[in-house]
Amino acid sequence: MSSRQCQNCGGADIDIDQARGSAVCTACGSVLEDNIIVSEVQFVENSGGGASAIGQFVSADGPAKTPVLGSGFHTSLGKESRAQTLQNGKRQIHSLGSQLQLNQHCLDTAFNFFKMVVSKHLTRGRKMTHVIAACLYLVCRTEGTPHMLLDLSDLLQVNVYILGKTFLLLARELCINAPAVDPCLYIPRFAHMLEFGEKTHEVSMTALRLLQRMKRDWMHTGRRPSGLCGAALLVAARMHEFRRTVKEVIRVVKVCEATLRKRLTEFEDTPTSHLTIDEFMRVDLNEECDPPSFVAGQKKLKMQQLEQELARKLDEYQGEISSYRDEIETELENSRPKLRGSYASYAKREAHDDSLSGVSELTEEGEDLEDEELEAAAQHLNQDFINQVLPELEQGPEGSAEAQELGKELAELPSASTHVPLTALLGPLPSAASLGLSDSIRQCITEERGDDNKSESGELDLEGIDEDEIEKYILNEKEVQAKTELWMKQNEEYLREQKEKEERIAKEKEQGIYKEKPKKPSKRREPIRASTAGEAIEKMLEQKKISSKINYDVLRDLNSKGSGGSPAHQAEETPVPGPGRKRLARRKKQPNKGNLGLAKPASLMGKRLRPLISSSPKKKKAVAQVVPNPMSVPPATPEPAPVPASPPVIESGPVAYEEPTEEDEEAEAEEPCVSAMELMGGNEYGREVEEEEVF
Amino acid sequence: MEPSNDVALDIIVTNVVSVFRTRCHLNLRTIGLEGNNVIYKPEVGKVLMKLRKPRITASIWSSGKIICTGATSEDEAKLGARRLARCLQKIGFKVRFSDFKVVNVLAVCSLPFQIRLIEFTKNNRPIASYEPELHPAATYRIKTLRSTVQVFSTGSITVTGPNVQSVASAVEQIYPLLFECQKTLV
Repeated sequence: MSSRQCQNCGGADIDIDQARGSAVCTACGSVLEDNIIVSEVQFVENSGGGASAIGQFVSADGPAKTPVLGSGFHTSLGKESRAQTLQNGKRQIHSLGSQLQLNQHCLDTAFNFFKMVVSKHLTRGRKMTHVIAACLYLVCRTEGTPHMLLDLSDLLQVNVYILGKTFLLLARELCINAPAVDPCLYIPRFAHMLEFGEKTHEVSMTALRLLQRMKRDWMHTGRRPSGLCGAALLVAARMHEFRRTVKEVIRVVKVCEATLRKRLTEFEDTPTSHLTIDEFMRVDLNEECDPPSFVAGQKKLKMQQLEQELARKLDEYQGEISSYRDEIETELENSRPKLRGSYASYAKREAHDDSLSGVSELTEEGEDLEDEELEAAAQHLNQDFINQVLPELEQGPEGSAEAQELGKELAELPSASTHVPLTALLGPLPSAASLGLSDSIRQCITEERGDDNKSESGELDLEGIDEDEIEKYILNEKEVQAKTELWMKQNEEYLREQKEKEERIAKEKEQGIYKEKPKKPSKRREPIRASTAGEAIEKMLEQKKISSKINYDVLRDLNSKGSGGSPAHQAEETPVPGPGRKRLARRKKQPNKGNLGLAKPASLMGKRLRPLISSSPKKKKAVAQVVPNPMSVPPATPEPAPVPASPPVIESGPVAYEEPTEEDEEAEAEEPCVSAMELMGGNEYGREVEEEEVF
Repeated sequence: MEPSNDVALDIIVTNVVSVFRTRCHLNLRTIGLEGNNVIYKPEVGKVLMKLRKPRITASIWSSGKIICTGATSEDEAKLGARRLARCLQKIGFKVRFSDFKVVNVLAVCSLPFQIRLIEFTKNNRPIASYEPELHPAATYRIKTLRSTVQVFSTGSITVTGPNVQSVASAVEQIYPLLFECQKTLV
């Protein structure tokens, strides 16, 4: 420090004490300086007696102005966002990885994956924890460690399918081919957890052999590897005379009891299960089995085939019988003399009787069919018969009495034998037919589809629509009332809520504090008036304040021409004292940026005209938005009362602006960019400049 | 569409999803109260209407956008949509039937052989992905056709795509790949 003159006495002899950090005049004793900043190395004594220097290491990358103050202050001070993300990620990876007992090499690899992910911008819109977990699992898979996705989801308490989705996406984007999970990997781990003591190794070996056998028998495709491991270990334990219950195994393996039992039964079905223990250890059966689901599917198929055959046969016989019946009826009608009056009804009744008995005779010749089906079918048929018969009999004088008798007779018949279950049979058949038809119809119609011009005009083509059926879909007055009542009762709560909400809104409106949250009016911007393309781009950029990472000064220099030059100069001057402020302001800015959740630029693009997030669009939009032409931006509201302040933007700026910058309107209003604006004869040209300083 | 190579495969279309617009504002409450087979959900803001004849379910929004699901063929979907529009017309809205588009078609197909999924995935990385911990089937995404095929080890596959034609082409495309990895009995 150069010696100065004391202000009080004018003496030149000033004593500077480094330890106290003070400068004192020796003549009059007045203290000139109190807290001198020293740049000496200071030492401190260790517990061991040695001395160590006071100080902290600062990273070489990153701006030199960032002191890491204390251990907890990680949301830092002006470090670049990317470095922060990576640091944060690294920390999380290490903490999670150590819980999984991964070695350092794995953790480093995971961090590399994470760096790749961040550089590809895949962390956007995803929870950091999910991404970290996915990176770790990726490492586990590539290294072949016995860690399951379930373990990770256990640690994080996150749904395993969500983690799986993230994992799959990352693997695809990073083009990493994770080798398929081999259940054999998990055996040693689970065996260890089941505490077999000294025999752990032997049990593991046995379980491995079992697993390999299962693989050959096609039990393992499409199944969770942990389930198979559980089954193999259970059997192996039993083979070595360890009593491990199903419950113990499932606690270790993390599948449910039903799954384990199913695997065991499937294994039981394989021929290997019939071997004795010794045989199994020695011999390997050559034949392979079908997977269990395939077997089940085959069974179903067979059942269906059987039923179809049955139906077909029934159909044949039904056909024969109906033809016989028709013949008989016609014959009878022709041969019988026509009775009149009361006899006519009797004749009808007899005719029906005869036909029925005829049917029963024929059908007694019988086929061997299951009785249950027939009973059901017979009843079905009876109903039909009764329905057919009743209207005819109604004409007769005896009417209902006859119908009852007829009904009784009909009821007696089914016990006889096969009744042709017409309707039951015809049920399943048409669906098959319709299936077959639909394909061919589709083929026929594909050529005709080009004729649909009507749909383009918006008129409704009423072809093929049955009006009556449509009428059925609409209720009449009474029904409407009934339904209204019902619906009101059912949805009372919701309606009440809606009313309350409306009242609340009305009240707030009266009070004048109502903020229409979901409806944001689109920001109308004035059209940019620029003489050259470069100017236009400049202005648009500044209007939008896309990113703080763009050095607008340089950009402006590149593009500025003519009239753009002077404000550029002004702008240049102003930013020069700016950088310090810039950093400061950016510090406060960043937490807010984080809050945005890293909104996707694409979606914001579409919603530009109705920005959902009020303050952000101006500041946080990605550069991609530069591309859509500035001319499409709707004219913005002209700046309210031009702020009278001169460019003391910087001075008054940073501290005062920190919070208000969130509310765009106010920030813009306070922007003292009048001069620049006026110069440009346009709008908001300088605004961006000022805001930038404020950053 | 059905035969591929020498085998006649039954591709059964089980679901067709389509959307269309009525170009007019619909009052959901009216529809909810006057329709015979509708469910009005005011919390979500839509009405579910089920038709019987082509068995379809439609979600109707007040903006006039309607999504129809459950049809078994593209034509059925169109017919159902038109029926629906007619029904709305009768209730009293000035509907116009415009922008009908089939959005998704789901089909199932059963192959006569089983498939080694792990081998299949290895041969077709990264288009195919198989995660036994998450789902028992391997998924194969065909970008050109914008279709996805889910392959199960039993040989049955489900195909989803934007229209029936793409579904058929997807099956044809994937058949030889699956044929290679089939499980042949020793």
